[in-house]
Amino acid sequence: MSLLSIENLSLAAADIPLVSRLSFAIAPGERLGLIGESGSGKSLTAMAATGLLPRAITASGSVRLGGQQVIGAADRVLDGLRGTVSAFVFQEPLTALDPLMRVGRQVAEPLRRRTRRDGRDLDGDALMREVHALLEQVALPQPDRIARSYPHEISGGQRQRVAIAMALACRPQLLIADEPTTALDVTTQAEILKLLDGLVRERGMALLFISHDLPVVAEVVDRVVVLKKGIAVEEGPVAEVFGAPKDEYTRSLVAAARAFDAALEGTP
Amino acid sequence: MTTLDALAPHRRDHSLSLWIGLILVGLHVAVALLSLVWTPYDPTAMAGGRLEPPSLTHWAGTDRLGRDFFTQIMIGSRIALIVGIGAVAIGAAIGVTLGMLAAFASRLLDDALAATLDILIAFPTLLIAMLVVAASDTASLGSAILALGIALSAIVARLTRILAKRVLVMDYITAARTSGTSWIGIVFRHVLPNIWPTLSVNFALQFGLAVIAEASLSYLGLGAPPPNASWGRLLQEAQGTVYTAPIGAVAPGIALVSLVIGVNLLADGLRDIGDPTRRLAR
Repeated sequence: MSLLSIENLSLAAADIPLVSRLSFAIAPGERLGLIGESGSGKSLTAMAATGLLPRAITASGSVRLGGQQVIGAADRVLDGLRGTVSAFVFQEPLTALDPLMRVGRQVAEPLRRRTRRDGRDLDGDALMREVHALLEQVALPQPDRIARSYPHEISGGQRQRVAIAMALACRPQLLIADEPTTALDVTTQAEILKLLDGLVRERGMALLFISHDLPVVAEVVDRVVVLKKGIAVEEGPVAEVFGAPKDEYTRSLVAAARAFDAALEGTP
Repeated sequence: MTTLDALAPHRRDHSLSLWIGLILVGLHVAVALLSLVWTPYDPTAMAGGRLEPPSLTHWAGTDRLGRDFFTQIMIGSRIALIVGIGAVAIGAAIGVTLGMLAAFASRLLDDALAATLDILIAFPTLLIAMLVVAASDTASLGSAILALGIALSAIVARLTRILAKRVLVMDYITAARTSGTSWIGIVFRHVLPNIWPTLSVNFALQFGLAVIAEASLSYLGLGAPPPNASWGRLLQEAQGTVYTAPIGAVAPGIALVSLVIGVNLLADGLRDIGDPTRRLAR
């Protein structure tokens, strides 16, 4: 059974279609990339997967997360799936962390929910020990200091590691990463990508990786869906889609990425 | 590790306004507490001649019935603090609840609440308070506090609604939702702490507003009835003798202004300490 199965999903704001009849599925442990340019509906699709669409957007079709129909389901039902079946890592780590809450407490929140779900209620010291362990797993130096810091007191790369630690704290079956490296500089990007890739493999999590950056996507996923203006124009294994793109739009994306690489290497 | 790290943690910058506020409010609180156990004279007894000027025996003179004026001001401190705290507590309880409901409500309910609040705010606070007092049977300290609390709640509700809405669209709310935080958890763990710095400063402004409004109610005879020595009633009683014994108007006036200014300065200073992101900006 698929962890996430989307069938004929259409999203619209008022009468403007944003995503049209999109279908794809992610099996346990599978890694799928959703690519396309800004405004192609990638992030909205991710939000729709957990039923967190803005009120103004209407959804039709079917989204099943962990076997549960998401569209039209009550928040009470979905709260049980969020953090259990799926967890998110967002693009902008500064705004994705509560500015007035110390990092340690922010990681402790989902951690406590998960351990309670597992039937062991952690208290102060034991909880903090696990928070520190999580911070170490995402390769943060001096977890003691980081845990006591506010988000504005640590660097962008460190903040994204904290956000990843928060997602890991949920121990989800499916990790949804929405442009997790876009807001970071190139060297940090590579580090975060490596960390994410390693953690997903290590834990056998499924991954829905959303990005506009082809080389980044190619590095971490097996299969891709190419979105253009809310319509899936191509789908298949990474090597196939990027090696021999069938659709005009995919070809232009690949060409653009090649041109960029060529420019970097100084060859015309 | 950036240069910001070295600056940010544990930096305590006690500003001047915090200290002045602390001293002024502390003075009023001390005087109010002291008045519970000791006053220079019995507040209702004729302690001296009528309308005596300030002297060593009567620090602020006596009123037209010969009662010690400083004693009355001390009792007034107590009443002002009770009114301020009571009215703000009621206003905050009703206002924050309503504002939070509006922020989370459906579009239609939110619009209805927002329009109602705008209409309520269009009425002067004092007018609403007068209507509520008039609706209750007798004028008492309790009804004045309730009236002011209700009048203030509209302002608190509107502010809460706007602040909460601004926080609700932030990424960290979405992030918390994606990890399974319930709406109740969102309110108490993320929304309230993030709007608190602004709200608490506003509560201090409301406190000042409530103290002044209660003085106005008492001045109009709608506040705490005699022998409760509200500053407003002292001002009203001094009106007839303001040319012969100006101290009767000046003393409660100074008491009123110093408390209101003190609370505002204190709130301003506390906000800077309470908000970790502001410690950097200073």
